[in-house]
Amino acid sequence: MSVPALQIDKVSKDFGRIIALRNVDLIVQPKEFVSILGRNGAGKTTLLNIISGVAKPSSGSVQLFGTDPTATVNKAKLAVISHEMFLYSNLTAIENLEYYARMYAVSDLDQRIEDVLNDVELRHRRFDLVATFSRGMTQRLTIARALLHKPSLLLLDEPFTGLDQHAIGMLIGLLQEQKNLGRTILLTTHDLHTAKALSERYVVLEKHRIIEDGLMADTSPDEIRTKFFSGLTTEKEL
Amino acid sequence: MRAAFSILQKDLRMEFRSKESLLAMWIFSLLIFVIFNFTFEVSRLVMLEIAPGLLWVAFIFSGMFGLNHSFAVEKENGNLRSMALMPVEGGQIYLGKFLSVTCIMLLFEILIFPIFIIFYDLQISMQMLMLIPVVLAGTIGFTSLGTILSAIAVHTRNQQILLSLLLWPLVSPIIIWSVTLSGMVLGGDLPASFYSLLTRVVAFDVIFFTISYMLFDFILED
Repeated sequence: MSVPALQIDKVSKDFGRIIALRNVDLIVQPKEFVSILGRNGAGKTTLLNIISGVAKPSSGSVQLFGTDPTATVNKAKLAVISHEMFLYSNLTAIENLEYYARMYAVSDLDQRIEDVLNDVELRHRRFDLVATFSRGMTQRLTIARALLHKPSLLLLDEPFTGLDQHAIGMLIGLLQEQKNLGRTILLTTHDLHTAKALSERYVVLEKHRIIEDGLMADTSPDEIRTKFFSGLTTEKEL
Repeated sequence: MRAAFSILQKDLRMEFRSKESLLAMWIFSLLIFVIFNFTFEVSRLVMLEIAPGLLWVAFIFSGMFGLNHSFAVEKENGNLRSMALMPVEGGQIYLGKFLSVTCIMLLFEILIFPIFIIFYDLQISMQMLMLIPVVLAGTIGFTSLGTILSAIAVHTRNQQILLSLLLWPLVSPIIIWSVTLSGMVLGGDLPASFYSLLTRVVAFDVIFFTISYMLFDFILED
């Protein structure tokens, strides 16, 4: 049996008196696409922060590809897309990508940058400052930055927030492409329909612990909403 | 070193594009020189006594702008977090930020020094070249410590206050010695104690730099 891409054992996290996660167990196999669902404050972002190694669990352990998530070798395999841009407004799109490509020691830098810019349809704006980009364009460049080093594990923290329909469609297409390339993907989202379309597995975080771990094929967005998020009329409230 | 130079290149590119730090530092120093020059009517001898102190007041207070700006720019858009996610040792990130802050501060010092000479009517001599190692050593001590403390302070709401509170007590010996050394250079003949004092500043630089380089991984953690 292959080494899991991600193995979380009894992870808890608290910030003083505030509990963020409680005894979370999760195993994700390579090439799996898992959606993490939960209301605001359920602990989704904290979980992704712990997986990416930027936050340490208060107890329990996390392993990426069988080793410590903070190991340099693992950081090179990881990409995070969140509501934060991770871009410099005062640099152009290409300067941002060149900087990240060098930090991630990307080989064939120029070609790779050209490829990702084409993927996100921003080649024509490559010499423009990020400060002049719209929210959607910035998020597309964020995605290009994340895919630059061909990560094995993608962590997506509500990546559709603030995007227009065109950008959402493009991101869904890119994620499907990444899934077909065999990347392991963890996505937190409020959009149950998108989660259903993209992922084969879902977990529900409620009151800081995982209360459901199931296959998307066995359920529907409406069923998930009724079962776990009753009382909420729209997905935005999730 | 690849990562450190990438950070240096990125920081310098942003600084030369916006000139945010350099311009603020230069104007602030100019104000210091103007105010002191026109407020105190003192003899040339007294001026020579206070000039080294004034020079370092300008360097250090303006340097605070550079330090505050250095990590404030990383906090914007979550870039500090992205640094923690990169497959790069914390020490390399520290080295990159240290190099960029030091380069910007040295450039500012080169730009402001002629103004200092003009305002305080100092005679240019070959001995003034000895200010180069003094300014280099003093600046490196200030930025090596300032870089790591700025990275700590940036996580807090009162970044500027915390940076001052943390930095001043630790960096004071280096500033005091740098003022003394600059006074020796501007005063005429160099006493025998000049080189031993300069060695002391360099030793402090090495200690501050090494400790900061080794500890920077912990600063990037949650």
